[in-house]
Amino acid sequence: MSDAGSARDRAASWVLAREQDGWSDQDQAALDAWLEESDLNKAAYWRLEHSWRQADRIAALGGDRPATPRRRTFVPRLGLGTWGSLAALAASVAAIVGMGSHGGHRDIAGADSVATATFATEVGGHRLLGLSDGSRVELNTDTKVRTAIGGGRRAVWLDRGEAFFEVAHRDGLPFVVHAGSREITVLGTKFSVRRVGDKVTVWVREGRVRVDNVEHASAARSSIVTTGGVALSDGAATLITAASPERVEQALSWRDGMLGFDHERLGDIALEFNRYNRKKIIIDDAAAANIRIGGTFPASEPRAFARLLRDAYGLEVAETDTEIKIQKTGLQLPDR
Amino acid sequence: MAQIGFDHLDRDAAVRAWFCEEVLPLEGALLRFIRRNWPTADDATDLMHDVYELAITGARTAIPQNTPGYLFTVARNHLINRAKRARIVSFDLVADLEAVAAGIDMFEAERQLHARDALRRVQAGMEKLSPRVREIVLLRKVEGLDVAETSQRLGIGKDAVNHQLAMGMKALADHMLGGAGKIVRRRYTARRTGRGEA
Repeated sequence: MSDAGSARDRAASWVLAREQDGWSDQDQAALDAWLEESDLNKAAYWRLEHSWRQADRIAALGGDRPATPRRRTFVPRLGLGTWGSLAALAASVAAIVGMGSHGGHRDIAGADSVATATFATEVGGHRLLGLSDGSRVELNTDTKVRTAIGGGRRAVWLDRGEAFFEVAHRDGLPFVVHAGSREITVLGTKFSVRRVGDKVTVWVREGRVRVDNVEHASAARSSIVTTGGVALSDGAATLITAASPERVEQALSWRDGMLGFDHERLGDIALEFNRYNRKKIIIDDAAAANIRIGGTFPASEPRAFARLLRDAYGLEVAETDTEIKIQKTGLQLPDR
Repeated sequence: MAQIGFDHLDRDAAVRAWFCEEVLPLEGALLRFIRRNWPTADDATDLMHDVYELAITGARTAIPQNTPGYLFTVARNHLINRAKRARIVSFDLVADLEAVAAGIDMFEAERQLHARDALRRVQAGMEKLSPRVREIVLLRKVEGLDVAETSQRLGIGKDAVNHQLAMGMKALADHMLGGAGKIVRRRYTARRTGRGEA
């Protein structure tokens, strides 16, 4: 077999192994070493990983199951669906992925019925969903959403975490995302919403959204955010600001499994990494926490990030089963 | 305060992002280019991976501004080198590259179409799989079964499950990235080697 053929086979095994339970740090180190061996390995692996992730979209559609006869138990009124019972499959996907919550009931009474479902990801998780109106929702780490599509409405509740929305345009049928005390209403556009408690952040990549404060009576009610805009809200306050396209892409780089930072405090960067990984980066040292850093890093590799900090800044890194502790010893800034 | 880059990891991440977002969408066009200019059809996928390998190595030094121009230059040079090493008759690739340069805008349009079309391509790719392999991929993607569970469900061994999943993954990648390219065989006249690099 050719070199390229062997590399492809090895790459496929790696992609599959990495998805299984029991993937250890040693396994990751072995994968990293194999990737470093040659750019052919990287080409094969990156290519297969990329298309395999794209294929996650099948899960959202429910797939064509030729073995069992297809029964149309729910006809999406808005929908494109040529696949069978979307609601039924959506609920079963939630059961596999969910954090024990089997929320939402299926109402399969007929054309006016609303499909409701719950979806969730674990720490480090990432999931793509397709809604019956053609919209797409991409869930980031540690996220929980509930959806209700049909019966003249389109609604999603972001209970926790962060999601990127690509909303299909449907005249006269707004799409509403409920996040804490905020409601984000759109007709058709691409944007992300992140919720931590009552702090809600909306990044608009394309289009227009309206952010409404539905809880705090004394606050101004509505804000419009357009392409490149970001709305940061906390309690009664909402701040709208414009961002460069690069900055918006950086805020959305999690969709490619990357985290992008620009002059940010190491302490804040560690918090961001900790959203995606069970093994947490702890920075005990106030001086170390204030070091400012920029760059783009794979979200799922906190240990590699810590090693870079050690090499670049002479920081001390001590790793246990549950955490990666970082502190400053005899700081030596590189000459720039 | 100066922004301090983390060279190795940062660079690798940047090259990977560039590769997935700008190079892979060109796979269909690249494969057609290789098949038009190399006599052995079965070699195409391997040659394509060689081109990817070379492209990645080069991009590590500097990410190209013009990805299609860069990729097809790498491809053309690689085919020429391979032809020389194999002492087979060399083809006239110059005219082909000129045609490519003129069609750069076409590639940008193809790339945008590629991104919007991802869902449709996954569906099309799934349909091309054999029923057995499709079933296994669906069990993995839709029901989230791991290897042990799939093995139980289908009554086959874990090695068989892994093997078929890997086959499905590779076939899907070929279908989704390669596109529905029609293979146009160009008729070329045999020329002696001796045509140097332009």
